Amino acid sequence: MYRTLFCKNTIIYTSIPMTDPLSFIFSYDFLRHAVEAAFLASISCGIIGSYIVSRRMVFISGGITHSSFGGIGLGYYFGVHPLLGAALFSILSAIGIRITSRKSEIREDSAIGILWSLGMAIGIIFIFLTPGYAPNLMTYLFGSILTVTPTDLWLMTALAVVTSLVFILFYRTILYVSFDEEYARSHNAPVETVNYLLLILISLAIVLHIRVAGIILVISYLTIPQTTANLFVSDLRKIILYSILISFLGSLSGLALSFYLNIPSGATIIFVFVLIFLVARLARTLRNRSLMKQSLEG
Amino acid sequence: MTKLLKFNNVSAGYDREVVLRDVNFEVNDNDFIGVIGPNGGGKTTLIKLILGLLKPLQGTIERMEGSNGNFAGYLPQQSLIDRKFPITVLDIVLSGLMSEKNGIARYTQADKNKAHELLDRMGISKLASRTSMELSGGQLQRVFISRALISSPRLLILDEPNTYVDNRFESDLYQLLGELNKSMAIMIVSHDVGTISYFVKTIACVNTYLHYHSSNIITEEQLAGYNCPLQIITHGDVPHTVLQKHDHLHEHPHD
Repeated sequence: MYRTLFCKNTIIYTSIPMTDPLSFIFSYDFLRHAVEAAFLASISCGIIGSYIVSRRMVFISGGITHSSFGGIGLGYYFGVHPLLGAALFSILSAIGIRITSRKSEIREDSAIGILWSLGMAIGIIFIFLTPGYAPNLMTYLFGSILTVTPTDLWLMTALAVVTSLVFILFYRTILYVSFDEEYARSHNAPVETVNYLLLILISLAIVLHIRVAGIILVISYLTIPQTTANLFVSDLRKIILYSILISFLGSLSGLALSFYLNIPSGATIIFVFVLIFLVARLARTLRNRSLMKQSLEG
Repeated sequence: MTKLLKFNNVSAGYDREVVLRDVNFEVNDNDFIGVIGPNGGGKTTLIKLILGLLKPLQGTIERMEGSNGNFAGYLPQQSLIDRKFPITVLDIVLSGLMSEKNGIARYTQADKNKAHELLDRMGISKLASRTSMELSGGQLQRVFISRALISSPRLLILDEPNTYVDNRFESDLYQLLGELNKSMAIMIVSHDVGTISYFVKTIACVNTYLHYHSSNIITEEQLAGYNCPLQIITHGDVPHTVLQKHDHLHEHPHD
């Protein structure tokens, strides 16, 4: 029995024994890598995404994501690794957005809108100017968890370790600064250090997971599992743990579903994320209703 | 009497606009100062200067012991807080210890016990593991007072505390402040002259310039003289002070 595995522009034909999925997964490097990538992405994005959602930074994260495309274009044109260009571009635009909205009369969301489209425009121009065909361009736009390389995995591991350490060591400082910046400032807490350090971590998380989910879809890893977790728990620590779990389970089931239905993996994972969210939302409504009933009767 | 704070000819503002001019002002321990003035008159700017959130354009501010860490605790305006932020009540209270922890030191069991004690004193010990989203305005107010008190400050600043508080807690609040005033100085900012002047010892009128009035009784004529145009509002049960109410001043508000 033959099936096609979609990697957007890479189509892999393979023969699949349907009997033992686990040994099957680990007999193929690309599938093993996909599972590892899902695990690492769940850790980094689970932590960083919880911070983003809590501080209402989803829009600025979208801006950082899209402006990184400029770096990818420049990377192709000058022959450097596109992810390096993307990292540089996203960090600079994140800091740029912060400084512009702090120091001038431009509102933050307007600054985001400008850098968002500027990054995309630069990317398109330089990819156009690059001689020859840019073969992996679609991978950057849509991503593919099935084509992550060992280098990507090493980088993702490093990020997951650094992010976890930062949050374990400085959890309370991050939490308190995020909740009430002004109070933190009046207590001489390192408010700006925390803000900029976290902006850099957000940028790196976005860039490294562009490989997994693509520029267009990476925001899903940073928002959907966290919003789902927030339905049941509202303590940052618990939101982080729950969203790592939801994210990993969602990625694996999305991967499996994409495989059996023969549809693109990235989009399927997001579809599963939203499905989990909807089921969770329904479960919460039902739970609240029965609790209400109990307290009315009791 | 210990001097906690002294403003020497301080002017301050933002961008091109000067909001406060030539302010000379002192806070001593056991002071209970009501800060009144019209919106945009510079009340919040005065608070920011005291807390070190804003640097003066001119003049100097002397602070006792030089640190603003344990120096002042304050109660922010609730409109500036994101109620949906995922943080527990216990954590909000512990965040009052930030300056002592310097970002690195751990929070100990003793810190947590102290937080629980304060919540208990505020009558909300059962809410310790709730999150800010689940609280009413009055409950959140008490959580913020606990946060301000956990670092045992010498000066407690309350910015418009009666905005979000129900009437019942309001009288509790003023009684609590009366007790706290035995061990710390208190500044309370309000546009509602009538209510606060009953409890405070002295009044500072802020409208670009600061006029210090060393009594809690103030008339509309005096306010006009200070260039501090404010209406003296009266609320049914809640006591209000205009000059005529002089003889009621030392009674309990709800007797």
